[in-house]
Amino acid sequence: MKWIDVQNNQSFDIESIVYLRKDDFSNTVSELLQTGSRMIALTPIDKNIPQKIIAVLSDSASSTIHIVGGDFSDGKFEFESWANKFPQTNYFECELSENYSYLPVNHPWLRPVRKQSVILKNKPYQFFKLEGEEVHEVAVGPIHAGVIEPGHFRFQCHGELIYNLEIILGYQHRAVEKLFLNANQNQRIILAESIAGDTTIGHTFAHCSALESLAQTQISLRADVIRTIAAEIERVAMHLSGLGGLSNDIGFALPSASYGRLRTLAINSLAAICGSRFGRGLFAYGGVQFDFTDEIIKMVINNLKTVQNDVQKINEYLFSSVGALSRFEETGIINNELANSIGLVGLAARSSGIEDDIRINFPYSAYRYNPISMINLSTGDVFARARARAMEIDEAFRFVFEQIENLPQGKIKTEMGNLNANSGVISIVEGWRGEIVHIASTDNSGNLTQYKIKDPSFNNWYGLSLTMRNTAISDFPLCNKSFDLSYSGHDL
Amino acid sequence: MNDAIKIRILQGDPIIHDVKTAVGLPLFRGLPTINDKPCLDGCNKCTEVCPTNAIKLNPVKIDMGMCVFCPECEAACPEKIIHFTNNFHTVTDSKEKLVVTKETQNVTPEIASKKIRKYFGKSLKLRQISAGGCNGCELELNALSNVNFDLGRYGIEFVASPRHADGVVVTGPITQNMAKALEIAYEAVPNPKIIILFGACAISGGIFQNSDKIERKFIEENKIDLFIPGCPPHPLTFMNGLLDWLDKN
Repeated sequence: MKWIDVQNNQSFDIESIVYLRKDDFSNTVSELLQTGSRMIALTPIDKNIPQKIIAVLSDSASSTIHIVGGDFSDGKFEFESWANKFPQTNYFECELSENYSYLPVNHPWLRPVRKQSVILKNKPYQFFKLEGEEVHEVAVGPIHAGVIEPGHFRFQCHGELIYNLEIILGYQHRAVEKLFLNANQNQRIILAESIAGDTTIGHTFAHCSALESLAQTQISLRADVIRTIAAEIERVAMHLSGLGGLSNDIGFALPSASYGRLRTLAINSLAAICGSRFGRGLFAYGGVQFDFTDEIIKMVINNLKTVQNDVQKINEYLFSSVGALSRFEETGIINNELANSIGLVGLAARSSGIEDDIRINFPYSAYRYNPISMINLSTGDVFARARARAMEIDEAFRFVFEQIENLPQGKIKTEMGNLNANSGVISIVEGWRGEIVHIASTDNSGNLTQYKIKDPSFNNWYGLSLTMRNTAISDFPLCNKSFDLSYSGHDL
Repeated sequence: MNDAIKIRILQGDPIIHDVKTAVGLPLFRGLPTINDKPCLDGCNKCTEVCPTNAIKLNPVKIDMGMCVFCPECEAACPEKIIHFTNNFHTVTDSKEKLVVTKETQNVTPEIASKKIRKYFGKSLKLRQISAGGCNGCELELNALSNVNFDLGRYGIEFVASPRHADGVVVTGPITQNMAKALEIAYEAVPNPKIIILFGACAISGGIFQNSDKIERKFIEENKIDLFIPGCPPHPLTFMNGLLDWLDKN
């Protein structure tokens, strides 16, 4: 075998990785991409040994993760870029190039990911330019009009239509991955919670699962179920926020206000469970910090039943409004073929007909024995992404109520031991946006030597950029909200 | 039309009428209290578990500017000396006042100067700038405008352009890549102007205080008017802080 196969959250011996020479490595990754695997990481497994890298590819059909090693010890840090044939790898190659000075040969568009000066050697970035009559350029950001995070958008427009949109990010870069290596246990949990504050539970879930696997700690059924309930409440809350934002962007005040009210109820349920409206403080290594008492269950059910009841009526109102539909339908289309080729993930991918949901394809935690149904739509427009949110809310409620009713008995926290030496793990979780990947590895005394994080936004920003082509510039806020991507998750 | 009315009726009356007396849910971690009990000899469990070095011993002090309001120290203390109450009133006008000791009863900012109240007392427009914020603080600031909190009823609003603003609300630890943009935006705000720091990251760097990618010159060089602790701070913390400061409560 030229590569090793692992499962989601399965700890593996890092000595077992097969390292191939440059060309062999390039060809093997190509072969795997050809057979339908998708790249989820491209990084050295040990930060201090940059000459040995791994390409991690996930194969949804067989629920396996392939790890291909590449050894560049005896030559230049160069490999033939895959991006011309498989656009999905292009951003991963840029990231590797930026962080570890690799050169993907014949890369179509080598550009900075987070650190503006590395690839450009301190020269300013040159945006694509469009010239001709009726052509104009619009520059937005890094500071935007609303209360949101910073990023720079550069539109090349032809009349009202966008010809091309370039998105330059990195303003939020806080060096989270580096901080993980030197942090103690308590700091790591808080760091994981702060990767993207809107996906607190998603990222902390991936982080805790990864480290628990490295320490071979089995967490209790009850803790598993509480974790997934919290993850689904987070999904409901953020989808409500997304629907509210979409209504707001088309000037539809009543649903916008209603979704806002319901989101408050949803996040207050998280506050009832753990004291924080974003679920901070809930996760601990080996389980959860707070148990579900009868009182808490009553409060949570009460809140969520109101949300479930009201959201149905508001959805009906929104999705039967001719005005809303005329703005949503056939706006910002990303078709199935394009979505596949650029490696779109999560809600956006499922709205373009890709059957990709980590909870189903790579089941983890309580999703292993309490399955959830996949929501899949095919039109790939703003409508699909809005409708998918509404449908995922319904499915999340079914799951949450079922789980609360059948809450397993037992303790909520197991003591976690030391991390295994010379081990690695890949933990994938379906956050509300999509696939979250955390990769951790240890040295011979069990200290972390690499911590790599991939937020779904890393894949999907490019999707937003392509969506905007030939779309009116006035529809940009709407399309942007329909993806609702994270800046800090991308910038880390 | 009928449907719209039905939806409106569903809304009910969701607004929090009395902001001042509202308290958090039972488990909510707001203002910490430190009781009179002495620490066990040599015990440093709380400082050991604190992820941001917010606690000092002999006597016990908690710096709310660094605290991320996680449940660790309360759970670790064998003598139950530290306790987080569900009190939203934690805003101060100086960094020193953020430090909670056992003498601390309640925390309120000093009322703003006559000039500030004259200019901003009836209408205060703020420009929020995220400089490395994780979107937690940003979501809570957005929530201020929803039907539950409705900050607009007090004449306080967030605006798009710094030129229309009376001050800035900074979130995040201030990354190197945002330091310049923050400065330019602040310069664009006409005088007199205020600076509000929202969240542990903005006040002290929070969990990112040791990052080599943050640049906190802006905080050190400018006078800060209000400190709003939390991770993220609750919308009611922000509201109460501003209302107290502008003497509108």
